[in-house]
Amino acid sequence: MPGLSYDGFDKKREEARREISRRDDSFRGRITVHMGTCGIAAGAREVLSSFKEELGKDDIRDVRLSTSGCAGMCSKEPMVTVESAGGPIVLYGDITPDKAVRILKDHVQGGNPVREYALGVGPELAGIPFFRKQKTIVLRNRGVIDPDSLDECIARDGYSALEKVLRGMKPEDVIEEIKMSGLRGRGGAGFPTGRKWEACRAEENTPKYLIGNCDEGDPGAYMDRSIFESDPHAVIEGMTIAAYAVGASHGYFYIRTEYPLAIRSADNAISQAREHGLLGSDILGSGFGFDIEIREGSGAFVCGEESSLIHSIEGVSPEPRQRPPFPVQVGIWGCPTVINNVETLATVPAILLHGADWFSGIGTKTSKGTKIFSLVGAINNTGLIEVPMGITLREVIYEIGGGIQGNRKFKAVQTGGPSGGCLPESMLDLPVDYESLREAGSMMGSGGMIVIGEDSCMVDIAKFFVQFTNDESCGKCVTCRDGSDAMLEVLTRITQGEGRQGDMEFLEDLCLAVKDASMCGLGTTIPNPVLSTMKYFREEYEAHIAGKKCPALACRSLIRYHILPEKCSGCRLCLKNCPVGAIAGELKHIHVIDQSKCTKCGVCLEVCPPKVLAVVKVSGDDIGKLHVLEKPVPVETFREKH
Amino acid sequence: MNGKTADVGTPQAKTGAAMVLGGGIGGMEAALSLAESGIKVYLVEGKPSIGGVMSQLDKTFPTNDCAMCTMAPRLVAIGRHKDIEILSMTDVETLEGGPGHFTATLRKRSRFIDEGKCTGCGTCVANCPTRNKVQPLPATAVEVEPRFRDKAREIVERNRGRKGLLMPILQEVNSAFNYLPEDVLSFVSRETGYPLSHIYKVATFYGAFSTVPRGKHLVSVCMGTACYVKGGERLLEKFSDRLEVKVDGTTRDMKFTLKSARCIGCCGLAPAVMIDNVVYGRLSVGDVPKILDKYKGA
Repeated sequence: MPGLSYDGFDKKREEARREISRRDDSFRGRITVHMGTCGIAAGAREVLSSFKEELGKDDIRDVRLSTSGCAGMCSKEPMVTVESAGGPIVLYGDITPDKAVRILKDHVQGGNPVREYALGVGPELAGIPFFRKQKTIVLRNRGVIDPDSLDECIARDGYSALEKVLRGMKPEDVIEEIKMSGLRGRGGAGFPTGRKWEACRAEENTPKYLIGNCDEGDPGAYMDRSIFESDPHAVIEGMTIAAYAVGASHGYFYIRTEYPLAIRSADNAISQAREHGLLGSDILGSGFGFDIEIREGSGAFVCGEESSLIHSIEGVSPEPRQRPPFPVQVGIWGCPTVINNVETLATVPAILLHGADWFSGIGTKTSKGTKIFSLVGAINNTGLIEVPMGITLREVIYEIGGGIQGNRKFKAVQTGGPSGGCLPESMLDLPVDYESLREAGSMMGSGGMIVIGEDSCMVDIAKFFVQFTNDESCGKCVTCRDGSDAMLEVLTRITQGEGRQGDMEFLEDLCLAVKDASMCGLGTTIPNPVLSTMKYFREEYEAHIAGKKCPALACRSLIRYHILPEKCSGCRLCLKNCPVGAIAGELKHIHVIDQSKCTKCGVCLEVCPPKVLAVVKVSGDDIGKLHVLEKPVPVETFREKH
Repeated sequence: MNGKTADVGTPQAKTGAAMVLGGGIGGMEAALSLAESGIKVYLVEGKPSIGGVMSQLDKTFPTNDCAMCTMAPRLVAIGRHKDIEILSMTDVETLEGGPGHFTATLRKRSRFIDEGKCTGCGTCVANCPTRNKVQPLPATAVEVEPRFRDKAREIVERNRGRKGLLMPILQEVNSAFNYLPEDVLSFVSRETGYPLSHIYKVATFYGAFSTVPRGKHLVSVCMGTACYVKGGERLLEKFSDRLEVKVDGTTRDMKFTLKSARCIGCCGLAPAVMIDNVVYGRLSVGDVPKILDKYKGA
């Protein structure tokens, strides 16, 4: 099939719109099952087949069943959107195959939305706290279009920006527009995108290359995966525009191997785009040629770093290298290369379609537009959110996120992945933008926002991150490789109750050395979680070192499980569940934990009935205050004595 | 050769060249980094060959890394780099000037061999009456196990001619056989021209590759931040307990390999586990036996 021309594209867009509205009119109802990775993991496949089965059983032909990407609210997966002719759109959450049957019967066929499963009906949806403060630009198509359908994408202005650019804009104009919009890299460092493109365009060497970085290694961030899973064409379009602006002829998507669905979705979208002349040697008849190839990562965190990523594609050992020269001068295969995060690329079409002024009207002075965050951890509404820059952490956590899970207290929010830091409650009114987060000792990073409740220990969290970066250090720089080893050793010692006076001062010195002397972004940011937790949660470190106490009751070496004799009813539940046989007792006898056998797994605490609550965790000087029985005694004897 | 002068940077040409003194592992890395940055490098070494002390070591402190694995790829890279000129058996006589404009006078000691003409054939070694005869290793034929042979060839052929073909080949081999068999890597080395040391360096760098056989199902317990704060560690313990293997171990029946994964990007459903390509979310310790039962038969 020959590629589309400009006019052919206009015609196709019109046709797609007409076709979709005709199709929607011809059906009595439309059911969309949201099938991102999260949805599938929560059981969306079963829900889909339940719908299919029911529709087939009753031979219902006037209901359209389709799938789409994630709808954003991961805590309510699997989710289903139902539109019935003339009725309001209803978003259902926490759907099971049984609930699906009822929705089909009552809502789709009966016309009565099932209120009790619904998250919102019609106009209410925009008012749900989770969605109210969001502004979706990059994610505007999430959960709306079928990622495998090019028509649905084009009907919603997909590739319209590319057409506009190729038809009437010079590469310099595109770069100027992006510069004016104030778009900055969404991968973490926040380098102005327009300036990067300009620098690459100015290079004389050819060919030039583009790389879309989807090696989303930061634990707690998954927006890049979601973009590919719900709207892959936006990334392709953004990348093609970028290629036109810098004069590149070939591009790579570098996607983590842990994201099989995203890889499949991107691959499918690339073939569709090629088939319709939206990629290839002569895009829309403009004479401009560009094509994209997918390369998979293989599970190395450091490959998200640009020079390391280039090495990985080239097939050499993926260690970062010194800069200059920067990749825009000497990148992949020694040619000028622009590396952009896929979220950055997916933002580009919207800017060119609506103008730089529109985009720069959103956000703060230095950080424009919106940013996607993955709001996860000990929070009620977990999910992907797209919010304008400058929103406060409090709004994000308490309004969008709906507060901390299980009525626990907020302790910290961790932003920026292993390179970021932990911010305490006093920083909650901080506006979220590149500069203010950095000043507070954290960073934007790729946009992970992990909420930490009062039952997590901050020293343990710092240890967790150092363990991560220590594992993932490529080993090139001594400070990063061995410095993180030393940091880990000290932190482990502290969490095991063997901290010494002077450990914190040593850690501080070590952190500064690692920061100064490491080469790439990984090494220079290893100390951030340690420094920020030491800054904001110093008393926790001190409690561990001086008092041998873990205030959050999380560090196993410092806690002890204990059965309160005055509460134990002798029901034998904990005894039966203890995996190591550390609990002694018999029916109607107060149970006793043998501390020499206990592995502190916490099962006894979990199984102790809510009415009894006899098992407690204690730490530090509280251990000495416990009433410890030597051996089990009958409950009655004990109660009489005391 | 007497008093060769390397003019390292003149005021007129600021970019100039750099001279690295000593061809040990530090000097080699410095030379490579400089050359990668686009600077001409003279690597000066007093001994007849570069490599230094590290070439004599088996393992290096403190990480116990194999010394040759660190060094060999760099030796090859230096030998091939167009911007690095090795001056062996060379001493520095004088060094004058300051940063940005040094002038060095070097003395290169004679090898009694015209390096411009020598092709490295080794006949002189073989015929030298006063030295022990060095036996060059015969070129070994690569014998690939029959069960890997056809597939390995197919993978290599499919990627032949592609730019940067090593990673795709390793990925396909790894997913076809569940690990990277040694003989297949030798085969890949012979077919692609990448030295085996280079292939091993790449293969052992990535977490997704394994050089030892793995079980049929790969159980990756996510230890990303969100999963960690929601109890991923206890999930990992339970899997380890249930499968009776340690992390990174494989069950005796070759059915399961247990791994702790970096974030699998399913943080909204933390804690999560990925088995092969299927993600299970919102798990508690009690769900572990049920999940493993699903894979019992298969």
